[in-house]
Amino acid sequence: MLFEKVHVLGSMHKLMLMALIALMTIGVFFIFSACYISEDQPMKILYLKQMLWIGVGMLLYLLIAMNDYRAMRKYVWGFYFASLALLAAVLLFAPEISGSKRWLIVFGIYVQPAEFAKLATLLLLAHVMTRPTFDHNSWRWLFALLGLIAMPCLLISKQPDLGTAATLGIMGSGMMFAGGLRLRNLLLLAAIGVLVISIPLGFLLAYEKMGVEQEKKERVVKMIGLREYQVRRLLGFFSAENDPLGSGWNKMQSKIAVGSGGVNGKGFLKGTQNILGFLPKSVAPTDFIYSVIAEERGFIGSMVVIGLFVLVFACGTLIALETRDEFGRLICAGFMVLVFFHSFVNIAMTVGLLPITGLPLPLLSYGGSFTVMTLAGFGFVQSVHIRSRRPVEY
Amino acid sequence: MSSIERSDSELLRIRLIFVVMVSAFAFLALALMREQVFHASQYRHSSERQSMRRVRVSAERGRILDRNGVCLADNRPSFCIAVYVEELRQPGRWKRTVKKVMDVLDEIEGVIGLEKELTEEDVYKHIRKKLPLPLVAWRDVDQRILARMAESGKVLPGVDIYYEPVRVYPAHKYAAHVIGYVGRADIDEENYHFYLPEMDGRRGIERVYNEQLAGEAGGKLLRVDASGFRHDETREKEAVAGRDLVLTIDLHIQRALTKALEGNRGAAVLMDPRNGNVLALVSAPSFNPNLFSPAISAKDWKSINGDPEVPLLNRAVAGLYAPGSTFKPMTAIAAMETGVASGVTHYNCPGYFKLGNVTFRCWKKSGHGNIGMQKAIEQSCNAYFCQLGIKCGIERIYTASDFCGFGHITGIDLDGEKQGLMPNDAWKRKALRDGWRQGDTCNISIGQGAILATPLQMAVFTAAIANGGNVFRPRLTAQIPDQGDLLRRMTWSPATLQVVRAGMRDVIQADTGTGKRARIDAAEMAGKTGTAEYGSRENRKNNTWMTVFAPYDNPRYAMAVIVQDGDSGGRTCAPIVNEVMSEVFAREEGAGRGI
Repeated sequence: MLFEKVHVLGSMHKLMLMALIALMTIGVFFIFSACYISEDQPMKILYLKQMLWIGVGMLLYLLIAMNDYRAMRKYVWGFYFASLALLAAVLLFAPEISGSKRWLIVFGIYVQPAEFAKLATLLLLAHVMTRPTFDHNSWRWLFALLGLIAMPCLLISKQPDLGTAATLGIMGSGMMFAGGLRLRNLLLLAAIGVLVISIPLGFLLAYEKMGVEQEKKERVVKMIGLREYQVRRLLGFFSAENDPLGSGWNKMQSKIAVGSGGVNGKGFLKGTQNILGFLPKSVAPTDFIYSVIAEERGFIGSMVVIGLFVLVFACGTLIALETRDEFGRLICAGFMVLVFFHSFVNIAMTVGLLPITGLPLPLLSYGGSFTVMTLAGFGFVQSVHIRSRRPVEY
Repeated sequence: MSSIERSDSELLRIRLIFVVMVSAFAFLALALMREQVFHASQYRHSSERQSMRRVRVSAERGRILDRNGVCLADNRPSFCIAVYVEELRQPGRWKRTVKKVMDVLDEIEGVIGLEKELTEEDVYKHIRKKLPLPLVAWRDVDQRILARMAESGKVLPGVDIYYEPVRVYPAHKYAAHVIGYVGRADIDEENYHFYLPEMDGRRGIERVYNEQLAGEAGGKLLRVDASGFRHDETREKEAVAGRDLVLTIDLHIQRALTKALEGNRGAAVLMDPRNGNVLALVSAPSFNPNLFSPAISAKDWKSINGDPEVPLLNRAVAGLYAPGSTFKPMTAIAAMETGVASGVTHYNCPGYFKLGNVTFRCWKKSGHGNIGMQKAIEQSCNAYFCQLGIKCGIERIYTASDFCGFGHITGIDLDGEKQGLMPNDAWKRKALRDGWRQGDTCNISIGQGAILATPLQMAVFTAAIANGGNVFRPRLTAQIPDQGDLLRRMTWSPATLQVVRAGMRDVIQADTGTGKRARIDAAEMAGKTGTAEYGSRENRKNNTWMTVFAPYDNPRYAMAVIVQDGDSGGRTCAPIVNEVMSEVFAREEGAGRGI
């Protein structure tokens, strides 16, 4: 039985697996580069910890790939509610670290339930949309889906972690689109969404430019439900040059790191922006790992990473197109959207095209829960690939 | 809508999502290309600007040596105890780092037993202004204290010992006016962020040859981290050490001359009449140039600068005095060369010379009687030279003296040289708005009145008589081959020179000569004494002179000495000449052959 299961792995999508391994290897090398200069012992061995996480993630990846993803249908509701419970627990028990509550400490390990919630929501949405009773054209089902997405979103944005909440929203939207929901309904919904987000943001920006008094600004900020630092980050994106030492610092230094890398880069372990601490050491191995790669390996290195990501998306899309099972297709499509959104926002942020959001770069950034979750997700994609080839036997 | 159709549209939608993904990443690739390929140099520049600091590093200053290679100016290492702030940095507020630095300073204080001079304020200031550089806590520390620090075996992180070169003058006061001294340089170059202390010459040779001695400053590039701490450094440009400078000065003679003048206010210059090389140049009183290095204390400066005897003044080149009777050879040459008089011209000296109702006294009250040119020089007869001068006329004397260099700088390679004054009718009309009188001519003929000369000018003049009429530029550094810089060639006839030289020889060698006290056994010498009066009628003072050249037949030395407020040239200066020339010839003997 077990032998047969392992044997199944022989029919994995090997190109995709190789692309993943390549990205993770690059990640380990540059996490080392980002931290080797640090005097802090835990920082110095961060790359070893990342290798440990990759090991755990790969085990989970193989385990999921070996088994039939369709068996998950039985557990999706359980996972979903468990993740909601964990998110609630985070708000209640998690220690506050630099202004936000994100981690639960389980046996000394920092766990980020938001990552688990992403996967749980992904599976649940795929499950719900492929039930026989699901009606693609009905507003009622659409709102039901929105509700399912909104619940973890709200809990996560309370931490507060707007970036991850937005990720869930985008992933949900992508799945609704891929799942064949009526386009007219979706567009209408999107239009409303854009309005709701852009009006207060527009006010804030206008206030900033006109120099309206602090009190009035604060009232608007409160109305929208944003935190002070989030507003600063948002505004910092639009006016980094006005405040180079404040919220715009990371953005400016990251741009300098990327740009000064040039075509060939400064060489592995020789990124001065990172070594000299202009790119803050606390974020270099996580949110700004791409800056380190771009600085040390230049345009060529940046393009290799971009190319590997496009390869991963292409493989994922092919798998989604090949499978005859809708559930599997939605899992693939949703997870690709998730990985795409993460990587696009992260890279765009490093180059200074988007505000600093704190979204890590999948497979490359340091992060325990995130790495394990990402590999688990790819495990599902791989499982879909294996079953789509042999839908009957297993 | 059937299930199959819907599935088709779903596949289309998934393809669409993929297209969006690929275009989004293509957009990122374009953005990256813009930044990394097209704007790379601009970002590289910002990256360097925020992390690179240029430091100017001074070169080691060249030494100054005398003609025999004896060191007159050298560098000694001055050991400093410095703290590298980046190694003591503490996380969090600056206050914590400052406290850590102060703790380390306290610790060093305990080990070496020297009280610390830095305050917390100084540390803050260093962090604000010069963070990437080491903070110097103790400067010029005794080696024994360093030994104590090493023996204590205490590990002091972030503490280092380095040295800066400090100028020393082994000759102390003996060559102070020639060598001069250095001071901390003011560098107004904007290419650097930081400057390390650098010296440049303020006076004397140190100043005149500063460029050669200073060498070429180098540069260091310091890479600093985001907080401004030093991260590492690379040498951008090596400093080129200054070149050593060999002087014409002979420290042995210089020392003898200084000693001979000790206790007086005065000056003396001894040069080689064959090429203008200055062998000794002394101004008294002198000072210790080591006081100025590395920096003179306010107290020392006050005492040296406020001294009524003005030790900082180089009297040899910047002291102006009436030459008195040492000028008489010039009058004699002017008269003979213009054909007004000759070697056999005689005048009567009754002990004075009356011009209208003004009486010019001769030093010999009983008078010299009927006296000739050679004897008049030997006897320094005022009555003779007054009559000779009047017969010759001021313009002839002026033209001859002017051509010989009176009233002009000699061009020696020292700073602060004065040109003196050679008066004539035009000068007097312009300066005093008064016409020239015969009494003025009388005065000038005997080296008194408005005429002013530096001891150096008198030495150059004496050298010209000694070498047959060559006016050399006196110099302190010699090139090889050693020919001298000839400024002007006098057209003095051998007959004229013979009379003047013979008269000057008798000054020293004849038993009746005014300068007989200068006589030495080692060589026959020639010279002229002088006693220039100045001050009010009630408070007469004498500037006493003597010029000398030797040996008489083939002169290798020419010298001028002045002692302010002495007794007379013969009594005050002749013994000084005797002392110095004895030493010079004794040294020549010892060395086998002279200079």
